[in-house]
Amino acid sequence: MTAENEAAKSKADDIRCLNIAKRFGDLETVASMSLSFAARQTTALVGPSGCGKSTLLRMVAGLEQPSEGSITIGEETPAELAKRGGIAMAFQDASLLPWRSVRANVALGASLARKPAGRVDDLIELVGLDGFANVRPGALSGGMRQRAAIARALVSAPDVLLLDEPFAAVDAITRAHLNTQLPKLWNETTTILVTHAVIEAVLLSDRVIVLSERPARIVADIPITLEGLRDDAIQRTDAFKSLCDSVITALEEGS
Amino acid sequence: MRSALWVVGILILWEALAQLKAESVLFTGPSAIAVYLYDHASLLTRAAVATTKNAAWGFFWGILSALLLASFAMLLPRLERALSSISLLIFCLPLVATGPILRVLYGPGAGPQITLAAMAVSYTTYLALLVGLRAIPQSWSDLITIYGRGAWIMLLRIRAPASLPYLFVGLQIAAPAAFLGAMIGEFTGAERGLGVLTLRAMRGLDVDATYALAMLAATIAMLAYGLVGWIARRTLGYAPVILLTPPNDHKPRSLGRQLLGLAALTLSVLLIWQVSMDAFGLNRFFAKRPVDVLNYLIQPEARATLCAALLETLSMTVPGYLAGLLLGAGLAALLMLVPAWSRGIMPVAVALRAVPIITTAPLIVLALGRGATGTITIIAVMIFFPTLIACLQGLRQTPGQIVDVFNSYGAGRFRLLMTAQIPSMLPAFFASARMAVPAALLAVTTTEWLATGKGIGVLMALTASTSNYNMLWSCVVLLSVAAVAGYAFIAVIERLVLSVYATEQVR
Repeated sequence: MTAENEAAKSKADDIRCLNIAKRFGDLETVASMSLSFAARQTTALVGPSGCGKSTLLRMVAGLEQPSEGSITIGEETPAELAKRGGIAMAFQDASLLPWRSVRANVALGASLARKPAGRVDDLIELVGLDGFANVRPGALSGGMRQRAAIARALVSAPDVLLLDEPFAAVDAITRAHLNTQLPKLWNETTTILVTHAVIEAVLLSDRVIVLSERPARIVADIPITLEGLRDDAIQRTDAFKSLCDSVITALEEGS
Repeated sequence: MRSALWVVGILILWEALAQLKAESVLFTGPSAIAVYLYDHASLLTRAAVATTKNAAWGFFWGILSALLLASFAMLLPRLERALSSISLLIFCLPLVATGPILRVLYGPGAGPQITLAAMAVSYTTYLALLVGLRAIPQSWSDLITIYGRGAWIMLLRIRAPASLPYLFVGLQIAAPAAFLGAMIGEFTGAERGLGVLTLRAMRGLDVDATYALAMLAATIAMLAYGLVGWIARRTLGYAPVILLTPPNDHKPRSLGRQLLGLAALTLSVLLIWQVSMDAFGLNRFFAKRPVDVLNYLIQPEARATLCAALLETLSMTVPGYLAGLLLGAGLAALLMLVPAWSRGIMPVAVALRAVPIITTAPLIVLALGRGATGTITIIAVMIFFPTLIACLQGLRQTPGQIVDVFNSYGAGRFRLLMTAQIPSMLPAFFASARMAVPAALLAVTTTEWLATGKGIGVLMALTASTSNYNMLWSCVVLLSVAAVAGYAFIAVIERLVLSVYATEQVR
C-alpha cells in the first residue's frame, strides 16, 4: 500500500463497535450492541433523555471504556486515533475556557491536536463570529458560544467529529440558521450527532439511529434519503415529514 | 461615604470614652494614639519596614512551596493524600514553640520570622490551589483527553489558569497571615520589628504604645489584604467570591486501610523528622529526635506536667472555639433575616478578618484582664470573623431558583433560612470549622505566653528559655497531634452531616 493510499484510507475509516456494552456499577447504561458508523457520513443518535446515547458517544471518543466489546476506527482504537489528533468533539455546554478569547479558544483545538492553526480565522468567519474574535466567551450569547465551540472542533480537521447536542442551549431561530449553515463544514468528515430533536436529526444526517430507553439498544436504523439541498424548504416536503414520522414512531416503540 | 461617616462616628465616641476614663491605665483614645504615632514616627517606621520585609519574604517562600506541593499533588495523584496530611501537620505545629526552636537553629537574624511567616501562609494557599486546580468542569478535562493529551498539558492549559481566582483568594488570606507569622517570629527575640516593640510595650504596661502598635499592625495587614484583592480584580476582571471548601474526591477506604494509611503516615513523619535532623547534623541538645521525646515522656512526672498544662489550655480553647464558631454562623444567619444590616456589617467584617487578631490580643487582655474571659474572648474573636465571612458566602450559595420557589409560595425569610439557606451554608461552615482548629490553638498558646502565664503556651515559653528542650519538643508533638486530631474529628462530623445535606460534596 502506498503512502498516499494510507493517508486517503485514514481519512475514510468506518467506526466499528463490536458487542459493546457499558455498565456503571449495577447500572446498565448501554445494552450489548454492534453497530458501525460509515466513513464521511453523518449519523444521528436519537433517543429519550438519559438513555445512554451520550455514553455511546463518549465511548467512541475514547473518554469511556466499554465494559464489554471493542471499538475500532480503521485499525486503531479511539485512544490511538485521539493521540494523533484525529478526534474532535463539541460538548453540550460549549465548554469554552473563560479566560481565553474566541480566537484563542478556537486555536486551542489546533494546538491540542498538534495541527497548524492556519484555519482559525477562516473558521471563525464561517461560523459567523468575525468581529468577535478578540472577545471572551463571557460576553457572548449561548448560540455564539456554541458556534465558537464548533469552530474549535473543526479547526483540527478531525477524521471523526462528535457532536453532543451542540445546539441544545440555542434558541429556535439561531438553531435553524446553524442547522442549514454548519453541515457544509463537516460534509467530508465522519460525524456522529447526538440529539433529541427529531427534525434536527433528519435534517442534518445521512442516517438516524433510534435508541430505546436505558439500557440503550437499537430500535430502528433509518437511512435518510433526501434529494436536493438541505434547507428550510426541504422541511416542508412530504418525504421529510414521513422520515420524521418514522423516527417518532420508532421513538415511541422504544419507550 | 456612609462607611466614612461610621468611622468618624466611632472615633468620636471612642475619644469621648477615653476622655471620660482619663484616669484609667487600661484605656486610651485616638488622640493619644495619634500623638504616640507622631512622636515615635521614625522608630515605628523602621520596625514596620523590618516586619513587612520579613512578612514579604515569608509570603514569597510560603507561596512558592504551596505552588510546588500543589503541582506535585496534581501530577502524582497517588502522593496527594500524604502531601496534604504532612502539610496539615506542618500547619498545625505550634508557632509559639517552633519560634524558639527556629531561633536556636538559625541564631540571630531574620530566619525564624521568615520561616514562621512562610509556614503560616503555605497550607491555606496549598488548600486554595488544590481546590482551584480540581474544580474544573468534566468537559474541560474531556477536551484534553479527546486530543490524546496527558496530565501535564491539562495542568498547563486548563488547571493552572482555572485555579487563578482560587489562588488569589488564598493569597488574600495569606497576606495578613504572613504578617502574623512574622510578628510571632519577632516575639521570640528579634533585633527589631513591630513584634519586638509590642512585647516591650506589653511588659512595660505602656498602654498608648500597645494601642498604637496594634493599630499600625492591623492597618498594614488590612492594606496587604486590600492590595492583593485589588491586584486580583485587575488581573481577572472580576472580584472572585470562592469558597475554600477543600476537595474530597477520594474513594472511601475501609477502616483497616485507613488505619494502615495513618500508621504509614505517622511512620514517615517520624522518619522525616529523624533523617532531616541527622542530615543537617543538628545538635542533639536542642534538636531532639523522636526517641528522645519518647524516652522523656516515659517519665510519669513529665507526663503529669504536660497533661495538666494541656488540660488547662483545652479548657480555654474549647469554649472559645465553640463561641467563635457559633457566633460567626449565628450572625451570618441573622444577617439573612435582616438584610439591611449586612450592608453595614459586611465591609467591617471583611476588614477585620484581615487583622491578625494576635496583634490585637494585648488590647483584649488590657480590656478584659488576664483571666479566662480574656483568653476565651481572644480565641473566639480569632475564629469569629473568618467563620462569619465563610458562612455569609455559603448562605449566598443557595441556588437562586430555590429561593424563587420559596418566594413563589410566599414563604417567609425564616422558613427560607431554615429549609434552604442553612443547608447550603454547611459546606462553608465546616471548611471554616476545620481551619479554625489550628487557629484556636495558635490564639490560645500565644495568649497564654504573652499574658495569662498558664497552660501549655507558657510551658513552651518557659522550657524554651530554660533550655528544657525535651519538654519543649514534647509540647510541640502533643499540640500538633491535638490539632490534627481536632481537625480530623471535625472532618468526620462534616462527612456525616454533608452526606445528608450536600451529597455532591461527599463522594
